Amino acid sequence: MLSAENISKKYHLDGREISVLKGVSVDIAEGEFLSIMGKSGSGKTTLLNILSTLVRADGGELRYLQNDLRQISEKQLNHIRRADFSVIFQFHYLLPYLTVMENTLLPFMSSLRPVSREIEQRALHCLDRVGLADKHDRLPGNLSGGEQQRVAIARALVKSSRVLFADEPTGSLDKATGEQIMELLGELNGEGLTVVMVTHEPVYAALAERIVHIEDGKVVH
Amino acid sequence: MNIVTIPLRNIRRKPSKVILLLLVFSLGIMSIVSLYLVSQVVGHNLEKKLISFGANIVVAPAAETLSVSYGGFHMGDMLYNIQELPEEQTTGAIRSIALQDRISVVAPKLVTMTTIDGKAIALVGVRWEQERGIKSYWATEGRFPVGVDEILIGRQVAEHLALATGSQAQILGHNFTVSGTLHETGGDDDSVVFMDIGLLQELLGRPGATSFIEVSALCAGCPIEDIVAQISTNLPNTSVKALQHVVNQRMASVHYVQKLAFLISMVILVTAAAMVGLSMLSAVNERKKDIGILRSLGYAKSRVFLIFCLEAAMIGALAGAIGYLGGFGLSFKALELLSMAEGARPIFSIGQLALTSLVFAAIAVGAALYPSWKGATVEPSSALVSL
Repeated sequence: MLSAENISKKYHLDGREISVLKGVSVDIAEGEFLSIMGKSGSGKTTLLNILSTLVRADGGELRYLQNDLRQISEKQLNHIRRADFSVIFQFHYLLPYLTVMENTLLPFMSSLRPVSREIEQRALHCLDRVGLADKHDRLPGNLSGGEQQRVAIARALVKSSRVLFADEPTGSLDKATGEQIMELLGELNGEGLTVVMVTHEPVYAALAERIVHIEDGKVVH
Repeated sequence: MNIVTIPLRNIRRKPSKVILLLLVFSLGIMSIVSLYLVSQVVGHNLEKKLISFGANIVVAPAAETLSVSYGGFHMGDMLYNIQELPEEQTTGAIRSIALQDRISVVAPKLVTMTTIDGKAIALVGVRWEQERGIKSYWATEGRFPVGVDEILIGRQVAEHLALATGSQAQILGHNFTVSGTLHETGGDDDSVVFMDIGLLQELLGRPGATSFIEVSALCAGCPIEDIVAQISTNLPNTSVKALQHVVNQRMASVHYVQKLAFLISMVILVTAAAMVGLSMLSAVNERKKDIGILRSLGYAKSRVFLIFCLEAAMIGALAGAIGYLGGFGLSFKALELLSMAEGARPIFSIGQLALTSLVFAAIAVGAALYPSWKGATVEPSSALVSL
């Protein structure tokens, strides 16, 4: 479904060139739950950002459904991000001045056309799925870290995303809340959602079907 | 819920910052609006005052000229077939043009030559009320005539005929009293005798006749050529001419006031727009995370650009409305302080209110273009990593 072939990425910092990824190749099947593990600075988040198209690789190939993502237009890329991909982050996921409902509907608010009743109902259903239907009119500042993370997941559900990229989704949460989130991700994967998750927690990584270890910008087995 | 929801909600995120920006922008717009309204009133009043310093259009009967020469001598051009202008009909035609609200004074004249004590003088019949409307610069020793048996004489006539205020003179068989003598004007007025036109028409046996008519027209807002053209249409077979030097002098004074107001307004506008631009630039820097989230959700750069532009437009429109209302109120106070009101008042217009909101929404968007573009071009990853 999603494949990365010989991906390389360099950053320039203080006049020095730092090679973050050095020829990384990963294949992700539809419906798979993949964990990417590694120490801090190993390149795992960069790899996730490249797979989710938030960052462009310097070299290599990235294919989604056989389409070379390096060759498609910005418009097509935006469509993929809007329709097929969802990303949840460790810290920053919701716009603080939009309510839970509005944050959930954010992918559908990019035009002047109002969001339809049908999509609003679907959003409410997804919020109910993650246990937040009764808090749909609250601002993110009034939610716990775990609740905010669940809103981000609900947003992915409303979009009917095919792939969910999660960067340290439990990193800022306590153990109990982290386990709840992982349980939810497991459920969604069981329903067919492809999940690609970066984590440094072996316990959570083990919940995935497959683990890819990154060390010093390379995949190690 | 749609894309407009996002900037609307963001405005409530930091209400104090938005209120401050609104306040500054509104104050600038208020100054511009009040300057504009005051300059319009002042310009109009100024022009009305300048009218009393002379006519700017002359309506005369069409006359044909004949170049006369005989025996090798050229005797010059002679006028012939000179018609008179019927006063009532001509005055009515002038006052009934489409731009009639621009006609301020219509002052008919009947000119003839006669003698006083055997000495030739030029006699001009006038309507005193209209004449005073365009000759406010006349300074008299004595007073303006009140009755039809009184005359006003020019300085040179007074010296030539040894007449003074209170003197008696017989003109066309009728006895007149000199009510006043004009101080020297340096123009044609110094060498003529002014009297009531009605009595002159009667004495000459030419009821309703005029030699020419002087018109004072308000030129601000429309070219004098339009007024001249309309009078000409209503009065074919007449000569209608604008005294361009008079027009230009008056309009120069009026335009000076308006140009000064415009210049000051531009300075205020640029300052206010710069403030909006800086505020939006600061907002883009503060909201890189938000931009990252939107871009990661598939928002195109154009959508991010639109969000920031919409926010600027909302602030501009609201500031425009507040500024117009404030400026309208302020203009009354300004006119009062300048002692320039004199009955003239700025007029509130819903259309102008809407236009002001629209214009300043556009200006705010213009000021926000660079920051909005800057925000839109931020790559999602760098925005997210920035924290």
